[in-house]
Amino acid sequence: MPPALLTTSLVNSIQIGSLYALMALGITLTFSVMKLPNFAHADYFTAGAYAALIVSLSGAQNPIAIMSAAFLVGALTALLSHLAVFKPLESREVSLYTLILASFAVGLIIRYILFTMADYFNLFDLRIGIPLQVLYREGFLILSNIFAWVVPTTIALVILLTLLLNATPLGREMRALANNINLARVIGIPVERVKNSTWLLVGGLAGVAGALWSLQTAVNPLMGWAAIISVFAAAILGGLSSFSGTIIGAYVVAFSENTVILFLNYSFGLDLAYKPAIPFIIIIAVLLIRPGGFTQLLKRGGKLQR
Amino acid sequence: MINIDIGATAIAILTLFGIYSLMAISLNLEYGIAGVPNFGQALFVSIGAYTAGITYTRVLPLLAGLESVHPCGPTMGQALQLRSEIMAAQPLAGFINLGLTFLIAAIVSGAVGFAVSYVTLRLKEEWFLALVLLVGGETVRIVVRGADDFICSHNGISGVAQPFYFLRDPHSSSLLFMLLCLALALVAYVYSQRLAHSPYGRMLKGLRENEDVTRGLGKGISLARAQIMLIGSAIAAVGGVLFALNTGFVNTNDYVVNLTLDIWVMVVLGGIGNNRGALLGAALIAILDRFTQVGAIALNMSGSEIEFNYVRFIAFGLILLLMLRYRPTGLLPESRLTTNAHDVVRRAIGASNQPPTPSRHRDGGHPKHQGGGAMRET
Repeated sequence: MPPALLTTSLVNSIQIGSLYALMALGITLTFSVMKLPNFAHADYFTAGAYAALIVSLSGAQNPIAIMSAAFLVGALTALLSHLAVFKPLESREVSLYTLILASFAVGLIIRYILFTMADYFNLFDLRIGIPLQVLYREGFLILSNIFAWVVPTTIALVILLTLLLNATPLGREMRALANNINLARVIGIPVERVKNSTWLLVGGLAGVAGALWSLQTAVNPLMGWAAIISVFAAAILGGLSSFSGTIIGAYVVAFSENTVILFLNYSFGLDLAYKPAIPFIIIIAVLLIRPGGFTQLLKRGGKLQR
Repeated sequence: MINIDIGATAIAILTLFGIYSLMAISLNLEYGIAGVPNFGQALFVSIGAYTAGITYTRVLPLLAGLESVHPCGPTMGQALQLRSEIMAAQPLAGFINLGLTFLIAAIVSGAVGFAVSYVTLRLKEEWFLALVLLVGGETVRIVVRGADDFICSHNGISGVAQPFYFLRDPHSSSLLFMLLCLALALVAYVYSQRLAHSPYGRMLKGLRENEDVTRGLGKGISLARAQIMLIGSAIAAVGGVLFALNTGFVNTNDYVVNLTLDIWVMVVLGGIGNNRGALLGAALIAILDRFTQVGAIALNMSGSEIEFNYVRFIAFGLILLLMLRYRPTGLLPESRLTTNAHDVVRRAIGASNQPPTPSRHRDGGHPKHQGGGAMRET
């Protein structure tokens, strides 16, 4: 494998892995706190990407402004889906399958509202107005301004999230909910308020991920759904309960999709068309062999770790 | 104004009803009766369609005694012409080919369903099966779309004509095709009704309600689950073959998660666990489908900028959410399970005709997951 290609694919792995991590952390958080495998998560991401695109098209080119708009839109979409759909269903104590089905329906509705909007305003496959620049070049290593936005933002958000989870009252309450919701209610934790905050956080993270994604590729209403399998693979590698596991999982998935497939292509002539099978293989393998993901591998029990 | 040919519209709706019924009955057997959450229905339907794509391009010319032409690439047009000529001139080859397609599709799909159900045995949490099926369906679709030789990657296979194409008259050939679809749906319905009301069907419902109790009564639950997945998947694949013949082409874009959701909407709308509900759901969705198509054309002609096909999906999502929220048992709730012996005993003791209300299906789901109990704690 030529070193130039290897370096490029490694840079890509880090960049895409960071975005997977931001999304997968949301899925892990929803699953831990709300006990819901949320398939609508992909569409909070797309909503964030569209918010970023619209802000950018309306003239603001400041990435901070773009990301804030995406955070806001993602957060509100997630909160709305909780208040309108998941909360009433949960209060009737429906089965898990009903909740999964409902999350599909929520995703479908968001996705096709975005389709209708994109169709009406001609917003298909547009790129955000921040041009691609090369910031750093050293031999084969080429880093773009997009890389410089994606990776530090992810690191900053992960640090903030870890602090929030471990050093604030809200984080403590969220962990309490993750452990035992009835106990949390009994000892006086405002369960509904904590849930609302969690939804805002989860949706906001997905929205920011969408904004960052829209820096690197064109925005379309199916982009979130196209990434969801990889993101679920990352969350499952993290055992759906561990933060560090999920982050490692995200980079492992991105690395397999970008570098490993190229390596197999060069060494064994494997068709690149099989790339989408990678996250599926990861999911099946983890679920069958180590359903706890990295968490189980590291032999640490408990819920929602850092 | 658009002219609507009422006869043709009725035929189109009834054809679609037959095809959707097969898919809905399949999901109702798997989820409604046996409680296996199949979120990968599109996968099994697509197996049927892909099989049709392969037999029409590889087997049909052989049956007609002609040399087959590679269906993709530069010879694509030639292969399409060959298919059309055979379907127009040699009805017998067409019918044998269709029979083979049904057979292969049902066997392959059934085998996949059987194999998948064994994966459940090793899964820690039950909803993982839903994830595996969903992700499996999407993966197969994307890989098939990427592979060049299978069904010509993203181009798909066109000219997958329905077997009565040789009649030349579109009206009578589509009428006969409609009858074929309805006949197969009827067979599937009668079969699934018999199955649901047999002792075996009651065992499956027991499995749905409580796995441990069913196992405790000495039933082999893993085999039962594998069997129902085999049956359901085979029926779905037959529906997939008809689906491909109805549209006339095989393309991976038709078998996305939206199709799975459509089938779930049918079952949830009609009534989970009730075969008649599955039929009702299929009928309503077939009518809605046709209506949205007409609506889309009418809206486009009136100069509206809104794409009606997108509104269709929003409407389906809303239907699903409203049903789950306000009428989880569906329009036709599952009736109370009675046996002949039960009736005899009731008559003998002169019990009142007021059966106690069934406890199941307050949520259209499975009681073992209800409440803040075991599921939410683990």
